[in-house]
Amino acid sequence: MKTLCLFPLELRRLFQSRLTWLIVGLTVLSPAVGLILYKPATASTMLSMYLANPAIAGGVVGGILFGLLSVFESDRATRSRVDVLIDAAVSPLTMALVRLLALLAASVVTVAVTMLVWLPISAGLIGSVFGGVDYILAYLLLMGLSLPMSILAAASAYQFTRRVDLSLVLFAAFAALSLTVWADDWQLCWLNPCVWALSDDFSNFRIFRSVAWMRLTWLVALAGVWTVSYLCIRQYGKGVFGSLTRNVRRVYRPIIALALLVCSGTAYAAQPLVDSSNPDQMAMTFYEIPYVEGVVCTGRSAQVFPDTSVGSVTGTASYQFQNTSDQEQNVAFGINPGYTISNVQANGVNVPFSVSDYQEYNEAMLEVTIPAVEQVELTMEYSGFPQESYNMSTMQGSTEISSEYLCLENSVLSPRLMNVLPGENGYPTTIEITLPEVMTAIPFNSSEAEVIAENEDGTKTWRYEANSAGGILYAGDYVREDIEAGGITIEFYYGRKHQAVMESAGAVDAVKSVVDYCTEHYGLLSFGTGETLKLIQSRVAGGGYATDGASLLDEADFTADNLGDASKGGGAGEVMIHELVHQWWGLGNMFDTSDPTSPWSAEGLTVYTTYRIVKELYGEDYAREHYVNQWQQAVDDYYLDFYVRNPDYLANLPEDKQLEITGNLTYVRQYCEMPLKILKAEQLVGGEESMDQILNSLFNWELDPMYPYLTYQEFLDACGLTEEDLSLD
Amino acid sequence: MQIELQDLNMTYPNGKQALQHLNLALKAPSLIGLLGPNGAGKSTLMKLLVAALMPTGGAILVDGQPLAKTEHMLKSKLGYLPQDFGLFDELTVAQFLDYMAALKGLHDSKKTIQEVIRAVNLEEKAKAKIRTLSGGQRQRVGIAQALLGNPPFLIFDEPTVGLDPEERIHFRNLFSRTAQDRLVLLSTHIIEDVQSVCNQIVVIDHGKVLFTGTPEKLIQTAVGHVGAFWERDAKQEQGLHITARVNTSQGIRCRAVADRLPTYAKVEEPSLEDAYLYLISREAAQ
Repeated sequence: MKTLCLFPLELRRLFQSRLTWLIVGLTVLSPAVGLILYKPATASTMLSMYLANPAIAGGVVGGILFGLLSVFESDRATRSRVDVLIDAAVSPLTMALVRLLALLAASVVTVAVTMLVWLPISAGLIGSVFGGVDYILAYLLLMGLSLPMSILAAASAYQFTRRVDLSLVLFAAFAALSLTVWADDWQLCWLNPCVWALSDDFSNFRIFRSVAWMRLTWLVALAGVWTVSYLCIRQYGKGVFGSLTRNVRRVYRPIIALALLVCSGTAYAAQPLVDSSNPDQMAMTFYEIPYVEGVVCTGRSAQVFPDTSVGSVTGTASYQFQNTSDQEQNVAFGINPGYTISNVQANGVNVPFSVSDYQEYNEAMLEVTIPAVEQVELTMEYSGFPQESYNMSTMQGSTEISSEYLCLENSVLSPRLMNVLPGENGYPTTIEITLPEVMTAIPFNSSEAEVIAENEDGTKTWRYEANSAGGILYAGDYVREDIEAGGITIEFYYGRKHQAVMESAGAVDAVKSVVDYCTEHYGLLSFGTGETLKLIQSRVAGGGYATDGASLLDEADFTADNLGDASKGGGAGEVMIHELVHQWWGLGNMFDTSDPTSPWSAEGLTVYTTYRIVKELYGEDYAREHYVNQWQQAVDDYYLDFYVRNPDYLANLPEDKQLEITGNLTYVRQYCEMPLKILKAEQLVGGEESMDQILNSLFNWELDPMYPYLTYQEFLDACGLTEEDLSLD
Repeated sequence: MQIELQDLNMTYPNGKQALQHLNLALKAPSLIGLLGPNGAGKSTLMKLLVAALMPTGGAILVDGQPLAKTEHMLKSKLGYLPQDFGLFDELTVAQFLDYMAALKGLHDSKKTIQEVIRAVNLEEKAKAKIRTLSGGQRQRVGIAQALLGNPPFLIFDEPTVGLDPEERIHFRNLFSRTAQDRLVLLSTHIIEDVQSVCNQIVVIDHGKVLFTGTPEKLIQTAVGHVGAFWERDAKQEQGLHITARVNTSQGIRCRAVADRLPTYAKVEEPSLEDAYLYLISREAAQ
């Protein structure tokens, strides 16, 4: 009671201090560091660049500042000798609690002010994909909670040591651990959460939940540590142990401390977000399981019910087997380690099953014994919160299940059959999934999902047919545009939040132009079915990929920032063309990982093709001015660059500076020098038509399975030219 | 209010024995002067009384109850001015007193604050930041915070240090008035302060009580042991403690205390200071 009475007074006193105002002011400004210096979220979505990075930077800087404030404020009364007056009136333990509450309240006020100050700035920078919920959650979780954690850590250090210098050293060491050794451990990096990307359009439920779990685990742990340090507060002229012995006499105090520490330990050990997959990424145990003899799968189906409010999945899976072995067989499935399996029945009778503790590539192995009868109908129920792979724990967020978007891949969608060969017709599959009304189900293959029921609770049940042991399903609030181009129907799906950006960039026209042009000049996409092709904008994934009948476009390629990148095109529509041309030049095994010392990459052919399309659309003068002249200018500048002419100086710079400069220089070589070289090659081989024939042959060449990538030498050979021929000197 | 110290011992972790078998009874209303040389144990005793330290032996009883059980009650009834204290410089005088009033659990403290500000003559500085105050003004803020809420038990450790003579007289009167219905313990080196206001005196040295009683009784102990003589007449005498040397037109006049005065000394009427010094010197000789 006394604590509550004293709290407003201590808070008022705290805000009378100039140091407090300085710390509050600097903390409010600290998100700017994330726009300039400290950018842990490497993805190029608008929310990563203009929300995640400022919020994380604000959390790091603000956390450190509030840690310093806590140490100085804890020492304030002792330093100014007011403690002798205060201690005569109230217990030092009461004052420590009051001071902690005041510091926490100051941090809450600071975060609230920071959010208000940065709201218009963030909204302006992020543009049409800005969302209030993302903004609030990002600032609360990525920034806000680091402040109370720092306060608890720093105040604990002071209460243990009673020395400012030692407390500062301890706090600095604790913060440094998070920023260095623990930076790649999502559960330990308490100050700088592992957030590599925030999606603009496809919700961030999973990553926010992951950060919240980490923050709360640490918050409880630090509250426990603070409580222990509270018990060490010196009283009656006694030392640390004398005070501890006296303070623990109120039994509830050590019990609270112990309970908090146990809770945090449990939260750490029993986290539900990441599995225990074998960290050895060369391990292939599950892929080496021999197929069972005399058993084939003749069909499978699943009814899937995602609970978008909590991000979990429940489902029923059914498999039809033909067992001609006349004996019981062990059938293996890959299941997501977060799932619980129940009610496993063969032909309506319970059968034994087990789930391995060993996990590999985000799967645990479910083994079921099927009976020695020819026709077996195996059914099972699965449910739980899907876990992500341990090996990808710093890049969480791919298994998103929210009311706005979901992505269910393979064993997350339903148990994946591992050791049973398909029957004559493959693995005929029927998937039914019940989704919120606003969501459109998009199977990542050529099949079409259709609504089979509109349920009373406002959900819709979708069904689609496929033929595989696994499968990927995307669903979200998508806009669908059907575009006739290149002799096929393109189903172009993009997130509703991107509608304004897509429309202003003329996305539909760009798709049509690209598909028409590239199909005519280079040929059909290998993954098209001949009739339809799905182009699906997906949650940020660090790149796109394709399968039969569908191709994934990373949302990061369609941000307002990227569409304004002048090196990719003369305007948003032209950058859109550039990104779509990557469907021909850049997907799958077309190019190896780019070499920073070489201009050869997917970008050269993509920029060149973009130039050709733009030339066809807007004329030669326009294309020359916005492409060729700009490439030439950039290349001329490149060869005048100090570090290009004096590479020895570059080698003497710090590594991060070297990487930054090398990155910028490589960018010019890939996006400007290579297109110029291809343009020169075009002139040397006899013009555009000849070059189109060469590129057509390269696009449709026969892959070498040992090294399936298109190399610069192969391009030169196809042109009949040497590297010297394409010299730009 | 009554405080009893029963066989009180205090030994610091470094082995220094600050108090030894101390027995005292302090009863309201009274203004008790606590005297003793440096290192006698006065500050330790005060820290024990405000529960800043815990005795290593014996007991402190507050109205018959052990201090350990009545610590919260005692703190709510206590006004304490330590010798060495600080203030929050960023607050104004009124804000600081408001802060201290809240710590003491005083509700509706505005009137109380105005009263203590008036009592210590700081009305003009009520809204001034503490960092702008002089040393004497800061000392007055310290006294004001001790007086907040009219506590029935007040402890002042060297309260008039840093005050000018006029202020000292003002505060002596204030303490005197305050002690009319309360228990006030005044520790000071300034015998004059004690002489003018205290109705009880406790003298301690080396952690032991040497004397408890009225100032008159203390003076009585020194009758016949205080003498004056010319310095030129003085010889080297054992046990003679010179307490004052005054330059006069006829030479230097010395005042001294001793168990047995030398023959050349003229017996004088003892003052409280003489009696105190006599007591201390006698203890030192033993």
